[in-house]
Amino acid sequence: MNPPGGEDSVAVQSNVLERWPDCAAADEARAFWQMRVRRAAAHVRELFARSRFRLALIAVLSFLLWAGMFWMFASGFEFLKELPHRVTYDQTVAAVFAMFFAALLVMLIFSTGVLLYGALFWTQDTRLLLTLPVRVERAFLHKFQEAVLFGSWAFLLLGSPMLLAYGIVDGAPWYYYVVLLPYLVAFTYIPAGLGAMACLAVVAWMPRHRTHILIVVGVLAVGAASWWAWSLTFGSEGVMLTPAWFRHILGRIQFSQQQLLPSWWLSAGLLEAAHGSWHECVLYLTLLVANALVCRQVAVLMAGRLYRPAFQRLQTHPRPSRGPRPGWFDRVVLRLIPLPVAMRQLLVKDLRLFRRDPVQWSQFLIFFGLLALYFLNIRRFGSDTRHVAWVNLVSFLNLSVVGLILSTLTTRFIFPMISLESRRFWILGLLPIRRETILWSKFLFAAAGSFLPCCLLVFFSDTMLRVPGHIQASHQSTCLILCLGLSGIAIGLGAKMPNLREDSPSRIAAGFGGTLNLVVSAVYVLVVVTLTALPSHFYLLAQHSLTSGIVSSRPEVLAWLHFWLIAGNVASILLGLVATFLPLRFGMRAFREMEF
Amino acid sequence: MIELHNVVRTYGRKVAVDGLTMTVPEGELFAFLGPNGAGKTTTIKMMVGLLRPDSGTVRIAGLDVVTHARQAAAVLGYVPEEPYLYEKLTGREFLEFTARVRGFDRRETDRRIAAQVEQFRLESFLDTLTETYSHGMKQRLAFAAALLHDPAVLVVDEPTVGLDPASVRLLKDHFRKRVAAGMAIFMSTHTLAVAEEIADRIGIVDHGRLIFLGTRDEVRRQYESGESSLEPFFLRLTSNGNGQAAPPKVEPSESPASAQE
Repeated sequence: MNPPGGEDSVAVQSNVLERWPDCAAADEARAFWQMRVRRAAAHVRELFARSRFRLALIAVLSFLLWAGMFWMFASGFEFLKELPHRVTYDQTVAAVFAMFFAALLVMLIFSTGVLLYGALFWTQDTRLLLTLPVRVERAFLHKFQEAVLFGSWAFLLLGSPMLLAYGIVDGAPWYYYVVLLPYLVAFTYIPAGLGAMACLAVVAWMPRHRTHILIVVGVLAVGAASWWAWSLTFGSEGVMLTPAWFRHILGRIQFSQQQLLPSWWLSAGLLEAAHGSWHECVLYLTLLVANALVCRQVAVLMAGRLYRPAFQRLQTHPRPSRGPRPGWFDRVVLRLIPLPVAMRQLLVKDLRLFRRDPVQWSQFLIFFGLLALYFLNIRRFGSDTRHVAWVNLVSFLNLSVVGLILSTLTTRFIFPMISLESRRFWILGLLPIRRETILWSKFLFAAAGSFLPCCLLVFFSDTMLRVPGHIQASHQSTCLILCLGLSGIAIGLGAKMPNLREDSPSRIAAGFGGTLNLVVSAVYVLVVVTLTALPSHFYLLAQHSLTSGIVSSRPEVLAWLHFWLIAGNVASILLGLVATFLPLRFGMRAFREMEF
Repeated sequence: MIELHNVVRTYGRKVAVDGLTMTVPEGELFAFLGPNGAGKTTTIKMMVGLLRPDSGTVRIAGLDVVTHARQAAAVLGYVPEEPYLYEKLTGREFLEFTARVRGFDRRETDRRIAAQVEQFRLESFLDTLTETYSHGMKQRLAFAAALLHDPAVLVVDEPTVGLDPASVRLLKDHFRKRVAAGMAIFMSTHTLAVAEEIADRIGIVDHGRLIFLGTRDEVRRQYESGESSLEPFFLRLTSNGNGQAAPPKVEPSESPASAQE
């Protein structure tokens, strides 16, 4: 047979191109915008109709966070303004701005690259778009704009209170506030464009090494940031907030003020606007907009050439075989943990799902990693680890932060487990095991999985704060109570209020049941920590006063505080038992009677 | 209308499509059969532009799907096995989106949507969000979207899975009507009875190679000489039936009888 594509094909082509209209680029863009607006409107309508409580909670918490940050920044700028030399104030503000935006520059390059990788190559709608006569550049832009939006909301939440606070404290003219948004949008496009270019280039030219490249670059970036943070805190000399300390810190962050960095253009432009230099402000804005447009255009051009071939190449990339033998950790659980066989198998299944879902372990890693970094640096932020009240207060605050973060993670990952399992009930429901076994295995998975990192974090915090051994033991027991209780609440409520319609864990967590779980968990953490922390705080304070002879505390007051210390701990244990077993009991009853 | 010439596609070391050559002319319904993993979906993905061949060419209405991907998509309608619909859009909004990106103006969009609504009986759920649809409703909407622009070529992957008997009947009648009007339909299916009932020609693929190609009558003549229905004939030809390696591939010019030698 002759290869097709001769004269007949040419004739068919011209006939074809006449019969079907070609969509103009502007119409295509309009169709995408209309589709996006309609989807967003439907989403908002649904939120108002179904999740008002959650929406209100998010709005209130976001406002509180924003207001808190605004107050913090405003106080910081006021403090700096009171420094004797205006030069120091200007230098410090310029350094803070440059450093903040330089950090955002790097983070936005990473976040946009990673978000786009998922959005361009692994979502179902891209498969639809690539089979429609849509310009490949438009399909790319559609995903690019979404990634910019998702990647930059945190930037706006963090950046806006700082910039507004600075403007108000510094008495900036009206146009400072007018140019804020164009500046931020133009700046965001530059790292987003760079991230997009990197994403396209890696997938198109090095598809086999994409994961390795991401890991290497990520490790290098985290390593460099950690080294820098370490040198900034431990490498600085003398007492904090002294002129020498300022000079040292400013020297260390000098690199962020390189004039070729877009973050410096943003920083310099906003400072010029705040100081009333209108022309300089417009100059830097023009520079940012021009570079943003170039970045966007280069990314679009690259997408036009690379996106479709890269997509096609990635789809046919062979998936690695995992081999027939279970991993060493699974073998340990399967052979050595003294539990019924069915429960061990369920535990190993959940462990495998957790390991193979980067969304889950990466969030654990990010949150707990940041906390570990903070705990390891805690001495730099505090005043004196010999001051017993301060040490006690901070150690319990750290414990509650660990608990609160754990409560968000159990809401996001543990609470939806029962709903997701219910969707697979065609297999689990027909196994010769009691339904309770499924819930107990989930509970064990959650409690054991959360206790290990949490106790390690609390240990870090206590060691850095030089907390005495018996208080450390008390913290560890409180940590255990928190992990058991939070796991019990998440599993119990998850079984009592399953969402069988959704298959996305984030949506299940975002529903009413998930929101209730978050609120109950947060209240539980605060009550448990208060029950143990307050008596401990007063008791240690009284004991310290007595031994150091600051005040002559009466022995009966100390005995009374000792009683409250024990009573608080007993109450927290009782509350922990109630929070663990009561939701589990309700959940098990509901799960036993559940129809699928 | 659909031309594949010596198409090869691999996934690492695995050869999914191995030198496939075939054509589907205007006004023909072609049924593409084969066991799981035979290369049917890979072939379809190359036709619709989701994959590109390692070697060989795929043309839709004379347009190379690699070099003229966008133009080829303009003349093509595609319904995958599990169609994706934007879940926060209503059925009408989804149809409007596909019509607008295909270049139709407002009036023409409305006219074409009305025709599809009537054709696929979408009225009762057209203005609700697609996330609430059953599988059958989603499938009907996907067909409406794929046929909205009256394509020259329709490519469908397992079109009858999950549909009730009435919907299957509706679809089969619709296919025959479109074919009579000149459309080329390429249908991948495991439902041998559907293929036998409505296809003009049947191709059987195994291990990425075309091992049988013939008209419906030729298929019948083949199996009536030895088997009672298409099913044992299909199982004998493919490795599923006897556990042996796949038979050698057949060129379209060869007769069905010679293909089995």
